Amino acid sequence: MMSIKAGLQILFLSILAPLTVKADTGTDLFYALRKKALLVKDYTADVNMQIDVSYMKIPKLKGTMYFKSPDKLRLERHGGISLLPKKNVNLTISNLMPAGNVLVIDIGNVEKDGKKLHVLKVVPDDDQNNIVLAKLWVDEANLVAVRAETTTRNDGTIIMDLTFGKYINWGLPDKVALLVDLKDYKLPKGFTLDYETNPGAKPDAQAEKAAKASKGQKGTIKINYLKYDVNTGLSDEKFK
Amino acid sequence: MIQILRIEIYKIFKRPRTYISFGIVLAITLVIQLALFSDGKEFLGFFMQGINEQFDVQGNILNGYLVAYVILHSLLMQIPLLVALVAGDSLAGEANLGTLRLLLTKPISRTKLVLMKFLSSFIYTLILIIWLAIVALFVSMLLFGTGDMINIKSDSFVVILQNDVMWRYLLAFCFATLAMTTIASLSLLLSAFADNAIGPIISTMGIVVVMTILCNLQLPVFNHIIPYLFTPHMVGWKGFFDDPIPYAAIGRSAITLAAYTIVFLAATIYYFNKKDIKS
Repeated sequence: MMSIKAGLQILFLSILAPLTVKADTGTDLFYALRKKALLVKDYTADVNMQIDVSYMKIPKLKGTMYFKSPDKLRLERHGGISLLPKKNVNLTISNLMPAGNVLVIDIGNVEKDGKKLHVLKVVPDDDQNNIVLAKLWVDEANLVAVRAETTTRNDGTIIMDLTFGKYINWGLPDKVALLVDLKDYKLPKGFTLDYETNPGAKPDAQAEKAAKASKGQKGTIKINYLKYDVNTGLSDEKFK
Repeated sequence: MIQILRIEIYKIFKRPRTYISFGIVLAITLVIQLALFSDGKEFLGFFMQGINEQFDVQGNILNGYLVAYVILHSLLMQIPLLVALVAGDSLAGEANLGTLRLLLTKPISRTKLVLMKFLSSFIYTLILIIWLAIVALFVSMLLFGTGDMINIKSDSFVVILQNDVMWRYLLAFCFATLAMTTIASLSLLLSAFADNAIGPIISTMGIVVVMTILCNLQLPVFNHIIPYLFTPHMVGWKGFFDDPIPYAAIGRSAITLAAYTIVFLAATIYYFNKKDIKS
């Protein structure tokens, strides 16, 4: 007859076993995903970009986006001004996934827009890494992350939603929507001498309106990638 | 009428002081262009620190369009003075030289004479604004190149695509002409009261400075009168560089300036018709 101790051991192992297998699945999935992201050494893409921040009034920007692994990114606007969020993590999914050794916590499957997605939480081993925690929603069938929620040490939380199309084999999205934390923006009126559209209005009302518009907020950057040229061997000169 | 207008324009452009205005505009513009050419990045860095902290802005930001905007912004106080130099002299200068009485012996009504003085001051103002456009905008475009234009406001940051800029400048210069015409009409009115050109010129600038300070202080006690002053409306040209353009507000400002111009001109005609000309 089995002892109580042996019985408890079997019970304990039978509880842990599926979890261990699941954790390994999540870890494998993450490393496979990261490996696929690293297949892209560089790309040149025609893009449309829409910056939606309450204190910024910017029309849709058309241009060419250059990327070189691991973290070089540049938007060229053929003589125009280019704006990219100044974040240590930038607009590529590979930069929203922690590098080096990581601890992967498998959250399980969820269904989103009729698609089964595998959710992973990834914690980097390196304490100095700017990424503290990354949560990834992975389309296992195509081995792409369709959403990344990355908490960083210095840049707040960055949420990236990706829509894939004909470049899915490279893991390159057709559309990216990036939600970033932004700081307040305010300059003294004495410097800018703004044109008051309602001169003489109560200063309180005007200040309140301006403060409301610029108070700690989220900004959205939407990028449509129209065409990619992948791994053409971009030189570093392109990013200077 | 045309003959009198020609004579008035001839008188304005025969005087060396008229060209001082064009020289001053050129000198100030060149100084600002030179300063921005050498230290423009530091200047821009100061204004863009809120944006640069969060965004990586690349490209020819300090281009001719932005430099022209900075120049126009810097000349807010100087251009009214240059307009007053001529408009303030038009009646008072004649009185000072003793030619006003002689002029009024001609078969022309006093009303027509004032209208021709006003029209010649307007033409001078228009030419001064065109000169400003040439040296501030076109020379800056040559020196600094072109590109998308940024407009840094106290609570927002506006980017205007380069193919969307020139028509805004055209409307902005038209608006500036209207604003400066209001100054010209004020100077003409003050000129009718005086027998010496210095008084109207200084008085015009005094009124502009006092009104500007009243507006900038933003004290609640003045809030009720500020909408009725003309100085806050003079910077309406800046509205053309906003997104969306506040057409309704610009329209209100234009109507206010036009109304002031008409009132000043009517007051000049009324007073000048009643004035006992002794010199």
